[in-house]
Amino acid sequence: MAMFSLRGRRDHLAVVKDEPAGEPSLAERALEHVDALYGLAYHLCGNASDAEDLVQDTYARALAGAARFEDGTNLRAWLFRILRNCFIDRARRRNVVLEIPDDTLDARATEPWDAAALDQLRYVTASEIVAAIATLPIEFRFVVYLDLEGFSEAETAEILRCAPGTVKSRLSRAKARLRAALKEIR
Amino acid sequence: MTDEADRLIDAALRDHARIAAPRHLHRRLARRHLGGGRRWVAPSLGAVAGAIVAAAVLLFVIRPAPRDLDVANEAVGDHQRVLASRGLGVEASDMHHVKPWFAGKLDFVPPVSFLGDDEFPLRGGDVAVFLGHKAATFVYARRLHVISLFVFEAPDVPAGEQTIRGFHVSTWGAAGFGFALVSDVSWDDLRMLETRLR
Repeated sequence: MAMFSLRGRRDHLAVVKDEPAGEPSLAERALEHVDALYGLAYHLCGNASDAEDLVQDTYARALAGAARFEDGTNLRAWLFRILRNCFIDRARRRNVVLEIPDDTLDARATEPWDAAALDQLRYVTASEIVAAIATLPIEFRFVVYLDLEGFSEAETAEILRCAPGTVKSRLSRAKARLRAALKEIR
Repeated sequence: MTDEADRLIDAALRDHARIAAPRHLHRRLARRHLGGGRRWVAPSLGAVAGAIVAAAVLLFVIRPAPRDLDVANEAVGDHQRVLASRGLGVEASDMHHVKPWFAGKLDFVPPVSFLGDDEFPLRGGDVAVFLGHKAATFVYARRLHVISLFVFEAPDVPAGEQTIRGFHVSTWGAAGFGFALVSDVSWDDLRMLETRLR
């Protein structure tokens, strides 16, 4: 069984995992996912400053609770789940009510795309994509981003603590909303 | 048509939705969680002096190969300066006007031969300070988008692609020079221009 030792340093805990020499520590392996976590944090928070705080909270919580991580399980999924918990805690502290996505589809999402609209979509820019994602309810942003990161529906369901069927339907509705949002933005 | 729209949206998400963390966040997290000071031994005065000399040699004599992320971050910052600037040092669509303009301003001849075309017209050039050294900037356009190419002396710049704050950056090295291409155009467009430049 993996052993961890926690050393206190003023405002944080540094984690050193007892592993064979040459093996990367849990902290080292966890820090390989900073970019992926930051991307989601940015889409959730909508600005770089809050996204950085959220990622820092995530790592502080994850590595302080490193003993709870089971070796051989999905480290990346574990980190994303902690980021989600941190985000929800921050929202609660700020009395932000997270929007519950409804089942209604924007009528624009089902409108057909003509050739000109499709052509515009080929040249969509990064800022337009970021703006379109920002129009989605928070839970939809999670499923879109986790899908982008290559998580299966089952893995996403585990991260979000919901049923795989919920992930599937949310992803479908999220994509429909993205279609509508991009049509509006373009 | 909706299937095609979905395919294009998926491609746009893959190209644009990932946002790399800023370099200072990487550094801060590494410092905090990798225990930067855990094997701290008070160094002697001589060791400190030696380290300073060694660092100076590394900095001024041996030009170290920049890291991929350093290059990409620098490219995004310099590209934003291009976007915010009121004009370029030389504004011309003719490479034979742009390249001679660099004479006397740089201590190297930037190895760029793509003259621009209908899809990527050349807008001009300028001198930038890139990773602490003078660099040539070539500015191309793609419809209403601006694309900056930075050319700088560097021994070994690895080929790579990154997205930073929504800007796509493609970097590569050739013949002792580093190249960084940056814009908010799609990856397809950026790669198309890169092919013409390489």
